[in-house]
Amino acid sequence: MPDQSQICSDLISISFVLNGKRINVSVDPSETALMALREDLCLTGTKEGCGIGECGACSIIVDGKVVNSCLTLAAQLDGREVMTVEGIASDAAGQCLQRAFAETGGVQCGFCTPGMLLSSYALLKQNPNPSREQIIEAISGNICRCTGYIQIIEAIEKASTDLLNSNSEEK
Amino acid sequence: MTEKNSQIQAGSSVGKNLIRVGAWERLAGQARFCADIKMEGMAHVVVVRSSKHHALIKSINLDKARNSRGCLGIFTSRDIPGKNRFGIINKDQFLLAEDKVRCKGDPIAIVVGETLSEAQKAAQLIQISYQELPSIFDPEEALRPQAVKIHEKGNLLGSRVIKKGNPDEAFSKSEIIIERYYETSHVEHAYLEPDAGAAMIDEDGILTIFASTQNPHYDLKDVCDLLNLDESKVRIIQSPTGGGFGSKLDLNVQGFVGLAAWLLKRPVKMVYSREESFLCTSKRHPLKIWYRSGATKDGRLLAADVKIIGDTGAYASYGLAVVTRAAVHASGPYEIPNIRIESIFAYTNNPMSGAMRGFGVPQIAFAHESQMDLIAESLKLNPIEIRLRNSLRVGSQTATGQQLDASVGIAKTIESIKPYYDEARNKGPVLRNHKRYGIGTASMFYGIGNTGVQNPSTAQIELEKDGSVILYSGAADIGQGSSTVLAQIAAQELNLDPSTIKLVIADTGRTTSAGATSASRQTYISGNAILDATKKLKDVLVTHAANKLKIPRQRLEIKNYSVVDRKNEQKGITFEQLATIMSRTGVPLKWQGFFDPDTTPLDSETGSGKPYGAYAYASHVAEVMVDTLTGEVEVLKVVAAHDVGRAINPENVRGQIYGGVVMGLGFALMEEFFPGKTESLKDYHIPTCADVPQIVPIIVEEFEPTGPFGAKGVGEPALIPTAPAIMNAIADALGVRIYKLPANLERVMAACVLSKES
Ligand code: FES
Ligand code: FES
Repeated sequence: MPDQSQICSDLISISFVLNGKRINVSVDPSETALMALREDLCLTGTKEGCGIGECGACSIIVDGKVVNSCLTLAAQLDGREVMTVEGIASDAAGQCLQRAFAETGGVQCGFCTPGMLLSSYALLKQNPNPSREQIIEAISGNICRCTGYIQIIEAIEKASTDLLNSNSEEK
Repeated sequence: MTEKNSQIQAGSSVGKNLIRVGAWERLAGQARFCADIKMEGMAHVVVVRSSKHHALIKSINLDKARNSRGCLGIFTSRDIPGKNRFGIINKDQFLLAEDKVRCKGDPIAIVVGETLSEAQKAAQLIQISYQELPSIFDPEEALRPQAVKIHEKGNLLGSRVIKKGNPDEAFSKSEIIIERYYETSHVEHAYLEPDAGAAMIDEDGILTIFASTQNPHYDLKDVCDLLNLDESKVRIIQSPTGGGFGSKLDLNVQGFVGLAAWLLKRPVKMVYSREESFLCTSKRHPLKIWYRSGATKDGRLLAADVKIIGDTGAYASYGLAVVTRAAVHASGPYEIPNIRIESIFAYTNNPMSGAMRGFGVPQIAFAHESQMDLIAESLKLNPIEIRLRNSLRVGSQTATGQQLDASVGIAKTIESIKPYYDEARNKGPVLRNHKRYGIGTASMFYGIGNTGVQNPSTAQIELEKDGSVILYSGAADIGQGSSTVLAQIAAQELNLDPSTIKLVIADTGRTTSAGATSASRQTYISGNAILDATKKLKDVLVTHAANKLKIPRQRLEIKNYSVVDRKNEQKGITFEQLATIMSRTGVPLKWQGFFDPDTTPLDSETGSGKPYGAYAYASHVAEVMVDTLTGEVEVLKVVAAHDVGRAINPENVRGQIYGGVVMGLGFALMEEFFPGKTESLKDYHIPTCADVPQIVPIIVEEFEPTGPFGAKGVGEPALIPTAPAIMNAIADALGVRIYKLPANLERVMAACVLSKES
């Protein structure tokens, strides 16, 4: 973790869309997106499991792509569209995922859950009907020590089916 | 009372897949783990740790650090108001080192800063000078008489002997004898949430500690001793806990945040970095195991002679429990009439080893299950057949002489995996030239609860004035789902919807001790305590209803928060009305439950006794593909049959099995912590979803008469047979056996080379 007190540079102000709302915030140029979200913006749903890009607990979505917020600078969020777990329930895909995770036992301790949700949300947005291989690929950067992944994979499959069904009903 | 109540119909919440308590807040990112805590005026704690394996502390210079900006305080062992000792079994750990450090990472001072970076900066300015001592990293070396003493009392942690029958005579009669040496490595728990805690003094002056913990009531005792405070002055609240697997049974943060908050009278927080968690928290004990088995030529086990040497590292933690549990389980789930087992653990300057999912049984199962396959192989017996032939049954005696009188599901688990084993044998996949396919099986038994000691749980259930029900339990839910299961047990007895029961969990200010979340004990032991409390409340409710309604008890049943007439459901009385009547007549609304499994201590010379009230059983089959060019092992499929007594929440049980199998896969193939070298998740790999095989969980329910609704436990058993099954499959594939865990690329390649030569 960078030692902020040693860095004398001034704060820079950035502006980005966070969970659907435009926000302006001043950040230290050396600060990670993870720190900015958790400390400055008090959104603690995004977790830190390693700080070095190995676990995926800090996953967020930036312009539709999943990134490790521990390896992303806060300044890099400027002008982007960002989603964290706090914004996941904003649409049907997120809600389907939440419900499916709850119902299939995809949550045990829940520390990997925010990252898992965001990786699977980004997947479903890109590919509403993913194969098992594609699901595994999508969450391969997210470590879970509790579940053995099976019920998480099943949850994503279920969410995809539920979402497709609800879309076809609407049509 | 039990009989009276049993006439009254219970609910249907046992056996249901209730959604896990706390799942929704986690899915919304709203669960507040310790690292997420923010308090007004909160300061940050960092720990200054030893850079030496073994050294005397000559001096600690704090001057520069004290004057550093934002430094609020620096504390060393001298500032500890109480007794600077803690540890769950042996009080051999120091919150802050006194004159000596015993391993890298030993805590020496804590620094509190306004901000985290200010605390870190001040910590860097602390100067410590050491006089290094010789270090020992091998337990056998540590036990030599001339070895340098790591603790004043010497380097022996403890030993356990188990003797039964006449092993010497039995070996002389054995038609086959197999003798081998096995080794396992240090393993990191690698729960996803690094250790964390926070503390503050509340408006009543109570030191309140929030911790990621498996055992708040134990934390309370040690914190009180460290700070010299009465138990009424300290409160420990378990925060949502991101996995534990044994390591969060130790006092990893509670003492530090407690000391800082108490001395500074300010709220504080401490969060381990992943590196700190790797360096300083306990590991799985590496074991050295010599195993000699004797059998008849039709594969009946006659004798086992086992010697286990364990390395507990610098401190005991749960080491003594592992010494004994490894010994008690060294026979495997088999009836062996003649036994000699000796287990001995030593202190070294390695990182502390402690509790990790299975307490030594995963290690010893690797040995006994390899032995079973070796015997089968030399007798040309089917590995399934030899296990069935020897498996424990009702009426069998274990190595400690405990007679098993019910719920012995081992044979059923073997029978339920057999079709999968046979099918794999008959079909197998199409092989490409450098790939080898193998099938392996392994079984285990596991005693539920602590070994041969009292380990009770207490719980309360309360009827509120408005008729709702609150359940109080000290049992820490660390992700395994105990809160959900405990609510289901109470709901079953009261015929309620379990999701309507309010829960107060793992808060020493509001709950009483349920003992540790360890040893797969919460469903069985705390479940029973809750059932006991609930039965009392139910009895009182029904009694008062019978009185009021003038209907005999036998005709009453509980439905939807009312006691009603079975023959005419319109006639009844609500819980709310009963609460009013009860409080008016001075009848308590809150009832207490208690359960302690029926055990006896093990004899110090022969090890005989009744260590557990119930045993879980399991058998796995693993199919692997070994790439002989790269040494890579792909696990294709694991079938895992578990006798859990009764699955209170089957989805939960499956979740434990999946998680256990995958952790077992890591134990088998990739996880090895090198003391002094391994630093983080970069150089310590745990399974990702790409490593996960097809897993077929099979729930076997062999009713346990002493369990709540017949339930036993599954948390640790889930992991135990996986590694030995995979190792047996690799041996099947290559015709060469690997005797050290993990079977990493290097060890598998070495086996491949041998396999080609032969
Ligand atoms: S915290 Fe970012 S990947 Fe682990
Ligand atoms: S549920 Fe605990 S790490 Fe995934």
